[in-house]
Amino acid sequence: MRPFKYTNAKDVTAAAKMLAANPDAKFLAGGTNLLDLMKEDVEQPNELIDITRLALADIKLISSGTNKGGTSIGGLGKNTAAANHPLIRQNYPLLTQAILAGASGQIRNMATNGGNLLQRTRCSYFFDVAMPCNKREPGSGCGAMEGINRMHAIFGWSEKCVAVYPSDMAVALAALDAVVKVRNASGQERTILLADFHRLPGDTPEKDTNLSHGEIITAIELPKNNFADKSYYLKVRDRASYAFALVSVAAALEMNGNKIAQARIAMGGVAHKPWRAFQAEKMLVGKEATEANFRLAAEAEMADAKPLEHNKFKVELGNRSIVLALQMAINGGKS
Amino acid sequence: MQEKEKVTGTPVSRIDGILKVTGKADYSTDHPVKNVAYAVLFKSTIAAGRIKDIDTAAAEKSPGVLSVITYKNAPKLNLKGGIRGGSMLQSPDVEFFGQHIGLVVAETFEQARHAADLIVVDYEKKEAKTDFEKLHQQGAKPKDKEDEKRGDVKAALDSAEFKVEETYATPIYHHHPLEPHATIAEWQGENVILYNSSQIINGAQNAAASTLNLKPENVRIISPYIGGGFGSKGGQWGNLVLAAVAAKMVNRPVKLALTRQQMVNSVGLRQRNYQKVALSATKDGKLASLSHEITTHSAIKEEFVEPCGDCSKVMYDVPNLLISYRVVAMNMILPTYTRGPGKSTGSFALESAMDELAFKLNMDPIQLRIKNEPERDPSNGKPWSSRTTVQCLQEGAKAFGWEKRKAQPRQNQLGNELIGYGVACGTYPAHQRPSSAIVKLKRDGEDVTATIELAAADLGTGTYTILAQTAADSLDLPIDKIIVKIGDSDLPPAAGAVGSVGATSYANVVNDACIKITDELIARSGKQFFTRPTAAQLMVSEKVDNIQTRADSKPPENAEDYSSHSFNANFAEVRVNISTGMVKVSRFLAVTGAGKILNPKTARSQIIGGNVWGIGMALTEESVVDPRWGNFVTRSLGDYHVPANLDIGTMEAIFIREEDKFGNKLGVKGIGEVGIVGVAAAVANAVFNATGKRVRELPITPDKLL
Repeated sequence: MRPFKYTNAKDVTAAAKMLAANPDAKFLAGGTNLLDLMKEDVEQPNELIDITRLALADIKLISSGTNKGGTSIGGLGKNTAAANHPLIRQNYPLLTQAILAGASGQIRNMATNGGNLLQRTRCSYFFDVAMPCNKREPGSGCGAMEGINRMHAIFGWSEKCVAVYPSDMAVALAALDAVVKVRNASGQERTILLADFHRLPGDTPEKDTNLSHGEIITAIELPKNNFADKSYYLKVRDRASYAFALVSVAAALEMNGNKIAQARIAMGGVAHKPWRAFQAEKMLVGKEATEANFRLAAEAEMADAKPLEHNKFKVELGNRSIVLALQMAINGGKS
Repeated sequence: MQEKEKVTGTPVSRIDGILKVTGKADYSTDHPVKNVAYAVLFKSTIAAGRIKDIDTAAAEKSPGVLSVITYKNAPKLNLKGGIRGGSMLQSPDVEFFGQHIGLVVAETFEQARHAADLIVVDYEKKEAKTDFEKLHQQGAKPKDKEDEKRGDVKAALDSAEFKVEETYATPIYHHHPLEPHATIAEWQGENVILYNSSQIINGAQNAAASTLNLKPENVRIISPYIGGGFGSKGGQWGNLVLAAVAAKMVNRPVKLALTRQQMVNSVGLRQRNYQKVALSATKDGKLASLSHEITTHSAIKEEFVEPCGDCSKVMYDVPNLLISYRVVAMNMILPTYTRGPGKSTGSFALESAMDELAFKLNMDPIQLRIKNEPERDPSNGKPWSSRTTVQCLQEGAKAFGWEKRKAQPRQNQLGNELIGYGVACGTYPAHQRPSSAIVKLKRDGEDVTATIELAAADLGTGTYTILAQTAADSLDLPIDKIIVKIGDSDLPPAAGAVGSVGATSYANVVNDACIKITDELIARSGKQFFTRPTAAQLMVSEKVDNIQTRADSKPPENAEDYSSHSFNANFAEVRVNISTGMVKVSRFLAVTGAGKILNPKTARSQIIGGNVWGIGMALTEESVVDPRWGNFVTRSLGDYHVPANLDIGTMEAIFIREEDKFGNKLGVKGIGEVGIVGVAAAVANAVFNATGKRVRELPITPDKLL
């Protein structure tokens, strides 16, 4: 761990200004990922700006604007609070399930919603400074590409990086068409669709997201929807808790009679970002919610997968997981 | 005199429990030491070669740094002193990835860690042997293990009606005790005190002394509490003596604790094994032959091979037997003892093969085992001191509801889950080792207290408690009048808490010491007694204020005439998700025959702890090497998956009433290891019964069941 300066931000705009003023500064919120990375010398900020005291923890109904009737979750609220808030439990049970599928109770009590979106890959080559990693040290090479890549991407990877994005919460948020609200040093706000918030690695794997340095996540907005009674978060992993997804699927359906009116499917553990299964979604609209239709949709989505040496199983597992998650969703969470 | 009810054999809660849950138990680096400095290790990032140059200038100038120690300035140590795995800064040679190549000592831990990041090393790389998948066919006979043969395995196999010939693979496992290895070294003139988590107090003392070129009496090991060890704190590793070296060089006490990431290549591991097992049998299930061929790896200069064939030697009555070992020297840290050494991994192969044979014979796997139960130890012809494998199987079957098991796989489905039952047996040798103990009695009016002293170790498993129970019964004192002092090499020498010898060796010597002091009090009184008085009664009646005595105990002389082992039968119920391949062990039962159980509460914890690790072996645990570098890619407990609470279903432990009259005076057998033996096979067999898929390469992760 390198020495660093510890500072405090008084308000949101001041925080953004302090960050913008120092290209090597980082925000400190829950610290559940950043501090681990600093100890291992992976992250080397020279300043930590503590934003934990900023008033950005509220969860509330949105009373105006495009997402009126939806719910806003504060960027500095804790994961545990978000998962258990009545507005989330009632209207977005998919998000509750996804948050509770991640990490451990202790970590969720510390981790913030904004921090969750910004957590970094758990690729072991990224975590070990003795190994090459283009994400950690651009130009040093990718250790995982020809290495141990069982946990790595099957969609959207590049020659530079095959890491996957680890969050469960963000997979549900992607399925729920969530919007990330950010503010910059000038106090200006903008919104980014969650599905566009994270990037594919391309030639710049060191950039995880489309957030600019100097911007702060103030809230995550969930639009109103009709998915609450037909949604499910399925996480397949090597142990029952406290493990990252081999594959996860957030599935949500809205029915019109016996036909699917709307479908949302997002996958975790397969790409450098929450992977919206747009092809599968499109195929399901207007169809009956049968296992055969689920299977056709899953196969269409997984047909484009490009597995690596050790993660070929993720293609079949992805297929099965999409089908199972949709079945669970249509049955209100029961198999 | 009314016979007092015995406390031995009752579920007394740990007498050190409150200290532990209130944070008052001092683990290695918790001991308050004044003016302490902090040391951080830094490690090689190549697997083979030598250090051309090591630039420590920036580190030395970094704030708070007191010293940077490398092979260039480290004092000369005795590399044959008993410290395992080299890694003591004695030369620029690098033999494995993550070898210690230096030590930074600073005023604070953070300063030391930061400075370590500033060191730049220039290596001359050599080709490294890091890929076991490519090297395993080049194995040679180990130095200390001959092939064992009985009869003619090949002939029996060739002519057999029913046979199984399969290879079973287990990955590298790490011990990962919750308390990483940690030491405080404090010199007092020529003497050094090492507060160091040690399973063998006197072993650590001797190894440290010899390596540091000191006499044992110049080294004191203090280790009252151990946060788990599982074998990794049995032998001692470079970090122990490097703490002493650092303290000497900065002339201050030094704390040296490994980080979790450093644990993977600092303190040994359980090596990867390929085990080829061939069984043959008649159609009624009588075994005709058993061969068990093991291929594994060890380090470049030192050799350690875990005895995977041991269960195969004693479990079944079989006329033709072959056990062989082949080992490849690799650029990896030295493997070492790991809970149930050889038996936990060996039993996975043997007991999986037995299950495969039972399936081929269309025979219940319990019946197959009973059919081949040996009357004597087949490896040496000796009678068993006691053996209750059949009772373990039969009582376990009843308690577990084995009759509900379907003989054919995939016949038991509930919703989206396939349910399966599996059984597997295990064993571990039971021995008493020489140990000494002092008992001190002190009287204050009518109040008598006893202090028990010996250099025993408590891994966290209940040594304090069972010794207090044993002394309370032998002296006829209430348990709260017993003070137990262990974990200090200034106390009388004792066996280590290793190889399941701790409880047996310690309880016997404490019992002997308590009987001896009572005898001495009787002799001192000069009186004849109609009934034998207790030590406490004599202290009061004879007005003795203080008395102490020492006992030095060895196993009974005829103990070697018998073969003494603990035995178990493990029963697993698994539920396998048909879509995702995720496995849950919904129920697990271990039935153990291990002689006299001193404390059923701590014993149960021991057994289910072993079971949980066995479930981890079966389903989740795996240390993965990237052969291009020879490093581990699984360096944290986020990557190395020990079972979490949610992975574990209902755990039950039953102890068979077993009276062992021959192994040792108290009839105690060890239970530290046997709890993990047979567990992985029971789970894998249950997975087969559920799904029809036989997984012979652990761990059984979801991808293997798709």
